[in-house]
Amino acid sequence: MKSWRALDLSYGAIFICLMAIGANITFWFPFLAIPIGGVSVPLSLQTFFSILAGMFLGKRLAAFSLLGYLFVGIIGVPVFAQMQSGVFVLFNYTGGFLLSFVLVGYVTGLLSEKINQKNMISTSSIAFIGVFVNYIIGVSYMYLAMNTWLGLTIAYQAAWIGMVPFLIKDLVLAGIAAVVLLKMIDRMPSTAYH
Amino acid sequence: MKSLILGRYFPNDSIIHRLDARAKLVAALYFIGLLFFIDHGLGYLFVGLFTLGVMYLTKIRLSVFIKGVRPLIFLILFAAMMRVLFTGGGEVFVSWGPFTISSQGLWVGLFTFMRFILIIFISTVLTLSTKPVDLTDAINALLKPLRKLGVPVDDFALMLSISLRFIPNLLDETQRVMDAQRARGVIFGEGTIVEQMKKLVPIVLPLFASSLNRAEEMADVMDVKNYQSGEKRTHFRQLTWHTSDSIALLMMVGLTAVVIVVNYTMV
Repeated sequence: MKSWRALDLSYGAIFICLMAIGANITFWFPFLAIPIGGVSVPLSLQTFFSILAGMFLGKRLAAFSLLGYLFVGIIGVPVFAQMQSGVFVLFNYTGGFLLSFVLVGYVTGLLSEKINQKNMISTSSIAFIGVFVNYIIGVSYMYLAMNTWLGLTIAYQAAWIGMVPFLIKDLVLAGIAAVVLLKMIDRMPSTAYH
Repeated sequence: MKSLILGRYFPNDSIIHRLDARAKLVAALYFIGLLFFIDHGLGYLFVGLFTLGVMYLTKIRLSVFIKGVRPLIFLILFAAMMRVLFTGGGEVFVSWGPFTISSQGLWVGLFTFMRFILIIFISTVLTLSTKPVDLTDAINALLKPLRKLGVPVDDFALMLSISLRFIPNLLDETQRVMDAQRARGVIFGEGTIVEQMKKLVPIVLPLFASSLNRAEEMADVMDVKNYQSGEKRTHFRQLTWHTSDSIALLMMVGLTAVVIVVNYTMV
């Protein structure tokens, strides 16, 4: 296995920090909560940054970094949404979203490495795929968790319907992730540094 | 902000604080796993008392632990209530449509409640009594066998340590960027959804750019100091295993024995 360079590790660490800040951005800056259909959706930039990690760092480093994010949370630093931490968060009904971030990073990284042409259409498509990976795993896990160990009976469709406001928010953010990536493209670790 | 770098670590001088981070991590994870195998009230009584004993030994006030449960209490109560309402069997007290309150249901509900509370308490003990850096070292030590499979364990632990060090900096940076954009006339929290989301670009872009600068500087420093991934390294912080750590793990074995005996002898 190819070993990591110092730059890879520090970039990976930076994305852990960005995930931590993105998860709780409304905690420090409450005015960033967004009303969608009457519900105030707390803005979480986790999906946003995990997609960006994939496209920016590439599949291997992104998955490594996002796994690191989960570990930082598990060992008790409050980096998950609502300043939560600990193993329990992963077993809660939203734990699937957290676990899926690793795959989101991998998948968006993989696609981004395969598709050489970087323009608004290609990058935003990759970002949207990232969001869907996130939600398919996240919502299925939510359904599974509620119906098994949490002992709450809920229909699969109902789980999806509850997540629609968040899905809309994350799809818009995915578009913004594409914009950010295109602006920062020359700083990617695979091209910027040797 | 400072509280974030330390996680929820609660400095104190207690026997639990002095335990090796590796022992605590293993014991806590094992204990949580064990909770799922208990199916008798007496078993819950034992592990419950054990947990309270451990919490007492940390010399941390009970209110600090309660605070950890508070955000999740509704979910836990809800889960327990559902168990009560949908589990039949035993003596039936109330029956209303699909819902029944039975003796069996009440027990199952109580077990669910106990299990969640104990999981939260014991993971709170771990995070309150152990510094995050010690836990990263513990993860590093415990994952070491994976190195034989080619997993870059040291790199992983180093990455976690770097991120712990940078989180407060990046938080300050976010604040600064927002203030700077406000000074330029950006008004946050107004306009349509899409407009509001678009305002994230002038926050995220500078934040992203400046954090990449930091990362590059960090990498330069590491390169100058000739950091080589996969080389043998010595550690500034050393974890030391004491007899008390072995005793802590032996207590887990003892607890397992109690749970097995209770499960098989009590009906």
